[in-house]
Amino acid sequence: MPKVKSTPDILLIAATVCLLTIGLIMVYSASAVWADHNFNDSFFFLKRQLFFAGLGLVAMLFIMNIDYWTWRSMTKVLIFVCFILLIIVLIPGVGLVRGGARSWLGVGAFSIQPSEFMKIAMIFFLAKYLSEKHKYVTTLKRGLFPTLGLVLLAFALIMLQPDLGTGMVMVLTSVVMIFIAGARIKHFMFMAVLGIVGLVGLIISAPYRLRRITSFLDPWEDPLGTGFQIIQSLYAIGPGGFLGLGLGSSRQKYFYLPEPQTDFIFAILSEELGFIGGAFVLVCFAILLWRGLRIALYAPDLYGCMLATGIIGMIAIQVMINIGVVIGLMPVTGITLPLLSYGGSSLTLMLSSIGVLLNISRHMR
Amino acid sequence: MKRVSNVTVRKRLILALSVGLVVFLVMIIRLGVVQLVMGDEISTRAENSWSRDIPFEAKRGEILDRNGIALATNVSAPSVLVVPRQISDPANVATQLAEVLRMDRQRAYELVTKNEHIVRINPEGRKMSNELANEVRELRLDGVFIAEDNRRHYPFGQYLSHVLGFAGIDNQGLTGLELYYDEKLSGEKGYVSFYSTARGTRMPGLADEYTAPVDGQHLKLTIDSKVQTIIERELDNAEATYNPDGAIAIAMDPNTGEILGMSSRPDYDPEQFRKVPPEIYNQNKPVWSQYEPGSTFKIITLAAALEEGIVDLDNDSFHDPGYIEVSGHRLRCWKKGGHGSQTYLEVVQNSCNPGFVALGEELGKETLFDYIHSFGFGQKTGIDLQGEGTGILFNLDAVGPLELATTSFGQGVSVTPIQQVAAVAAAINGGRLYQPYLAKEWIDSSSGEVVTRTTPTLKQEVISEETSAEIRRALEHVVAKGSGRNAYVDGYRVGGKTGTAQKAQDGRYLENNHIVSFIGFAPADDPQIVIYVAVDNPKDTIQFGGTVAAPIVGNIMEDSLRALGVERRGGQIEKERMWNDEPVIEVPDLEGLTIREINQAYYELKLDVSGEGKEVLLQSPEPGVRVKAGSTIRIYMGDKPEEEQ
Repeated sequence: MPKVKSTPDILLIAATVCLLTIGLIMVYSASAVWADHNFNDSFFFLKRQLFFAGLGLVAMLFIMNIDYWTWRSMTKVLIFVCFILLIIVLIPGVGLVRGGARSWLGVGAFSIQPSEFMKIAMIFFLAKYLSEKHKYVTTLKRGLFPTLGLVLLAFALIMLQPDLGTGMVMVLTSVVMIFIAGARIKHFMFMAVLGIVGLVGLIISAPYRLRRITSFLDPWEDPLGTGFQIIQSLYAIGPGGFLGLGLGSSRQKYFYLPEPQTDFIFAILSEELGFIGGAFVLVCFAILLWRGLRIALYAPDLYGCMLATGIIGMIAIQVMINIGVVIGLMPVTGITLPLLSYGGSSLTLMLSSIGVLLNISRHMR
Repeated sequence: MKRVSNVTVRKRLILALSVGLVVFLVMIIRLGVVQLVMGDEISTRAENSWSRDIPFEAKRGEILDRNGIALATNVSAPSVLVVPRQISDPANVATQLAEVLRMDRQRAYELVTKNEHIVRINPEGRKMSNELANEVRELRLDGVFIAEDNRRHYPFGQYLSHVLGFAGIDNQGLTGLELYYDEKLSGEKGYVSFYSTARGTRMPGLADEYTAPVDGQHLKLTIDSKVQTIIERELDNAEATYNPDGAIAIAMDPNTGEILGMSSRPDYDPEQFRKVPPEIYNQNKPVWSQYEPGSTFKIITLAAALEEGIVDLDNDSFHDPGYIEVSGHRLRCWKKGGHGSQTYLEVVQNSCNPGFVALGEELGKETLFDYIHSFGFGQKTGIDLQGEGTGILFNLDAVGPLELATTSFGQGVSVTPIQQVAAVAAAINGGRLYQPYLAKEWIDSSSGEVVTRTTPTLKQEVISEETSAEIRRALEHVVAKGSGRNAYVDGYRVGGKTGTAQKAQDGRYLENNHIVSFIGFAPADDPQIVIYVAVDNPKDTIQFGGTVAAPIVGNIMEDSLRALGVERRGGQIEKERMWNDEPVIEVPDLEGLTIREINQAYYELKLDVSGEGKEVLLQSPEPGVRVKAGSTIRIYMGDKPEEEQ
């Protein structure tokens, strides 16, 4: 492959920076009340988010200049390490429990979620495998089974924490990659059946999930239980109206919405900035999706194509799930909004992934 | 094996992009729906979830008599409110509060540390005396507040208690008028709502909203407290004299249906209602109880017979041998041996049962029962009180000769006192049946202006003016010459009818246990008041309405008419004297006479002399006033000034 470097995708960079900036402002606005209450420092979350945004931007610019083929040789090591980490995190006393799930390793703000890394590593693995074994993608034995087998193994480990959100994003991203690589529709039907069976199995193993799933249809049926978060989210979005209550004027951030700076940051954003603000963010993400898939479309080789597909697919799926939950279109799933939500390691990872995407864009045909 | 071409990948990438963009479009639309379409509804719900209301109690409307005298009012009764989040030293606050309010220290501690915005101390700190409230205020405890509140107060105690009813601790009407008109009396609560964070502190940037309470309207009753006072006094006397099982009295204006007074025994103090059994305050007997009316019911038979033209009181006569045969049964008259031959006026005067049976037979069951129904029996009068009785009448199909006969003189039917009062009022007021009522006016509590005024409700015209006049004449005779003699009031032309009803229990009549009653009205030429008194099982007396109830009605009648400012009049039927009646004489004109001249005239009067002089200048009562023989006349002596030539 000729290594002709052109300028990266400017529109993609613009959308990313735009969302990152809005995210920083909203993290401060949404978290200030809680931060002041819990840490006597209204800037507590903003400071950390600024640090990781800076780190992420540096990483993005750095990775943007590393040819993406470089990663292909590291894939096996990467996915092996991630599997090890996924097992380590399950050991009580080593993995840290936050929000009911043992999914963290490390200390304080400098802790990481192995599942987040696995999500990325899986993209790299699938991109390599699907491009190298492309001719087998239509077969079950050498195409679907090995790839899906590894995905499901990783999913199973993630569900032991349990972290349904991240697991779901990983599985859906993988499915999208396999689909775009050219797997047979017939096999997809089979996977769909498998998926439904799996879903039913998950619901049977933990019935609270069914209530979560149905509660979004009529949250007022159980306003203090399963419907609580959706109601509180709608109480933020609804009064926002067209222009919003104004930056900083959210009411729901006054302890009504739990942790408004993470999963429900879009609710606070829509409350303060209104339909205009919410729609603007959605359009930014749509631009991100468009530019990302365009990079995949014009990628110089199948590996680049699959890698770009995986990265932009992951971002888009996470956005759809997060906002779908917040605006009451989906059952509650704990998942952050890429580039906007508070969250150190995931933000850095997200920006790094975009760095890979940007590098592919520099090699576009 | 089919090799996948890059074309497939490209196609699927474009498909994924399309699907992705559609999903984003759907999300934008949904966002628009939530914010722009459902926005208002969600905002309302959200505001309810943020706002916290501090209630402001509305003042309950007062209840006044027709002259504006307060019968139910409010007195200041402050309450303690505790805001736990403002208390830094709960142990100390609890100890001090517990001491002043005389409550358990542990309970006080639990209350002042409760995880609520506002805590009430119930009942120790609820509606306290002002003295106690001041003691709490003087403790100067942070987070402990004294809130202005009101307690219902009934200045006359047991007076009119069954009619007024009472209001509970939350000023909510529980019985009587307090319950019947609770909504209008209680007004509407006001409140300050402030927006709160989920942790109970004030949310910044949102102003408080104050909704002022709307005080309840004052209720002005048709009750005349002067008449009511007289009734209460007479019932107290009756209770003391006869030790009865119960007693009731109703006074009504026959020309409107306005209730002037209503009371019953046993009674209770509304502020101490817990001290009596619930049936005492729950049963307002004048409208609730139903029993055989006895002879007072004969007025209805009389009215029907007169209106139908089947009897001439003066010219038709009836012979009473002491009983009457009805389908093989002998119905006895109350007088052994009977009243002999008499005119129908005398039949009424004597309350002769066989005479009324004859009238009933002449009328026939259809006609008699038509009149009974149109006089309002068998249905509620519609008076504005809770728990009114309907009464029980024979089903017309079940009425045979015997039932017709007993109904004619008031047995075998069951009626309420208020039904009798309304019916008799119609019989003597010219034939108009009015709905009795108590609420005369509703008055705006802030402006003092009348908001609504009740007008009398004419239900129907039952008999003609002429028939009514004839009934008045007959009933005046009953009081002047017949069984109602003890209700006679000199100068007030009282008419009326006695009633002695047997009480039935388990389908049998009780021995020596009667409800004795009297219904009277006055003056007979222009009735201003109808009074009904019934005494249940009076002890140590002849259980006869004329003996027990008639004098009570007479006393109430005389004092009430004077209180109402009704003039005494002449032209009254002279009372038939009995050996124990005191004679009544007219006060002579003593003006200008000397003491010697008065003494020589042998007046049956005592003198109370004042002033110095030869001649009488002034006297009281005025000449012409009728007084009992032996009454005292006050005279003022003086010298006649020289006449100007």
